[in-house]
Amino acid sequence: MPYRSVERRRVLAAAALGRDAEPPRLSADDGVPFDAVTGVILDVSPHLIIVEDAAGGQRRLVIAPWATAWRGGPVAPADLPVGARVVIRALKAGTVAERIWADATRLTGTIKAVTGRRDLTIVLDMGAHRGERSITVPYRSSGRIRVRHPQLEPGYLFDAIGMVDGGAPLALLPATSQPPYRAAAVPPPPPAYRGVQSKISGTAVWGDLPERGVAYPMLETSDTGCADAGVSCVGLPYLALGSTLYVRNVCDGRADALPIVACGCVTGRFCDRCLECGTSPRGRIVELSAAAYVELGGDLIKGCFNARIGLG
Amino acid sequence: MLSTIAAAALPVLVVMLLLGGVAKIVTAGGDGTPGALGRLGPAVLAPERFVKPAMLICACGELGLAAGLIAVDHPAARWLPVAFFAVATYVLQDLRRRRPDVGCGCFGEVSAAPVGVRSILRAAVLTAAAVAVAVEGTTGAEVVAGISWAFAASLGGIVVLLLALSPELEESLARLRYRAPCELRPLPPERALSRLRASSAWRTHAVLLESHEPADMWRELCWRFFVFPARNGAEVVFAVYLSGRRPAVRAALVTPDGPPASLQESMPVSA
Repeated sequence: MPYRSVERRRVLAAAALGRDAEPPRLSADDGVPFDAVTGVILDVSPHLIIVEDAAGGQRRLVIAPWATAWRGGPVAPADLPVGARVVIRALKAGTVAERIWADATRLTGTIKAVTGRRDLTIVLDMGAHRGERSITVPYRSSGRIRVRHPQLEPGYLFDAIGMVDGGAPLALLPATSQPPYRAAAVPPPPPAYRGVQSKISGTAVWGDLPERGVAYPMLETSDTGCADAGVSCVGLPYLALGSTLYVRNVCDGRADALPIVACGCVTGRFCDRCLECGTSPRGRIVELSAAAYVELGGDLIKGCFNARIGLG
Repeated sequence: MLSTIAAAALPVLVVMLLLGGVAKIVTAGGDGTPGALGRLGPAVLAPERFVKPAMLICACGELGLAAGLIAVDHPAARWLPVAFFAVATYVLQDLRRRRPDVGCGCFGEVSAAPVGVRSILRAAVLTAAAVAVAVEGTTGAEVVAGISWAFAASLGGIVVLLLALSPELEESLARLRYRAPCELRPLPPERALSRLRASSAWRTHAVLLESHEPADMWRELCWRFFVFPARNGAEVVFAVYLSGRRPAVRAALVTPDGPPASLQESMPVSA
C-alpha cells in the first residue's frame, strides 16, 4: 500500500494520539545544519558557480577561496565540467560554496555477479527502491577495493563510493570493510529486555535516495512493498515511511529532523562501525540522502559519520 | 543396585547424545552469527576450515552412538560411549587449559559459556553412567521391562545431578522467558485490523465510513494506524496498540485540510 504523504501521515497520527503535529523541535545545543545545494552545473568559473536545481531554478554561489572540489579525485572547482551533477556544502544561507562533490554516487548492495579480469564488472542488487545496477571497478581502483572487499563473490555485500562518468557508475573508493558474512546471514540484534531506548547510536551513511530524507531498515514489509525490509543487526524499533527521525551527527553536533522516505533494506545488513570520530557502536542505523548527509556535516568521500537517532 | 542404575542411565545417555547431536547440527548448519563456530567446542583447536566439518562429524557420531545404544545388542555399542565420554572429559579439561575463552559447544550455541568445572564434571558423570551400562550390558528392552520405583529414583537422581551440572540450563530458561518488546516484534496488520473491528471505537465510527477497507495504514513503534475514507471528504484514523489482549484503540475524524474535527476528544498518549 503506497504511502501518500509524509505530512498527511504526521497530521493523522497526531490527531489519533492527541500529540503535537509539529515535527520535533531541536534543542539549543544542536548545531545548525549546513546548507546543501544540489543540481546540475550550468556554468562555473574560479569564483562563481551556477547550478540548476531539481525545481528548475538557478542558484548562483560564490566559490570560497578555500573551497575544494571532488570528481573522482580532488580537482579545482573551476575545472568541474558543465553538466555535472553536484552536491555543494554552502555557507551564508546557501550563497557561498565551500565544498563541492561532482557526480558522486554510492554503490551499496549485494553482489550478484562478478566478471572481467582487468576492469571488473559487478552486478549489484541495491534493494527494492534502486533495483539491480551494473557497476565497473576500474583497474586503477581494484586494488583498494579488493583490500577492503576480500570476498568479491555473489552473495556478499559491497559498499563503495564512486562517480557516474557518462552514465556508467565507476567504483573508486571502498566505503567500508566488507562484512565477513553473507547478505542473507545478518547477525541477530542483541536482545532488548526493557523496551527500546529513546536514543540509538550507530553509523549513518549516505546513499542515492530519490528525495531528501532517510532510508530506515526496520519497516514492516506489508506497508512498504519491500520484501527485504525489517532486517537489522541493531535493535531498532519498527517505524513507517513518513515517520520523522531526529538524526544527530555525534562528531560535530549538527542535528536535524528528517522524514523516512525509503526502505533501508541494504543498510540494515551492514554491521560495521564508523571510525570518523572515535569508534561508533556496531551497526548502520540510517542511510541519509546526499543532501541531508552534507547538511549534517558529513563528507561524501568518507562515507559515514557516528550518529545518534531519536524517535519522532 | 548397579543394574538399576545402569537401566536408569541408558535412557539418560541416549537423550543426552540425541540432544547434543541435533543441537550441534542445527548450530553448524545455521549460518547465523559470523565467527560463532570459532568460539564453540574442541573443534576450535582445528584450523578454521575444518571447524564446521568437525562439529558435524561429532554430531553424527553422537547420533550413531545413541542409535547403537537403543538398537544394537553388542558389547561394542556399550563400550564406544564409554570411550566417547572419557575422551570428551579429557578434551574439555584440555580445552579449559588451552582456550579458556571458548564454550564447550556440547549442545551447540547454547553451550557458549566458557568451559567450567561443571561441564567437566558432567562429562565425567556421563562417563561413569556409560561404564555402568557397559558393565551391566543393559539393553533398551531391559529398561522397558525393569521399570520400578527404584528405577524411577535412580533416573530422577541422575537427571537432577546432570541438571545441576549443566550451565546451559540458565541460558535455556533465559531464552524461553525472553520476549522482545512490542516495538521490535513484527506483527501482521491483519491481526491489528481484526482487533480494531472488534473494538468499541470501530462501532462508534463505522457509520461515518464510506468504505470499510483502509485507504492507508502504517506502523510506528507499538501503534498501527488505519485510515478510512469518511463522508464529506474527511478521514477517520484509528490507532491500535499492538500489545495486550484488549489493546487500546484511539480514533479521530480529520477534515481534508488537516485539523481534527471535534467529534471525539483525543486522549493524550505518548507513542
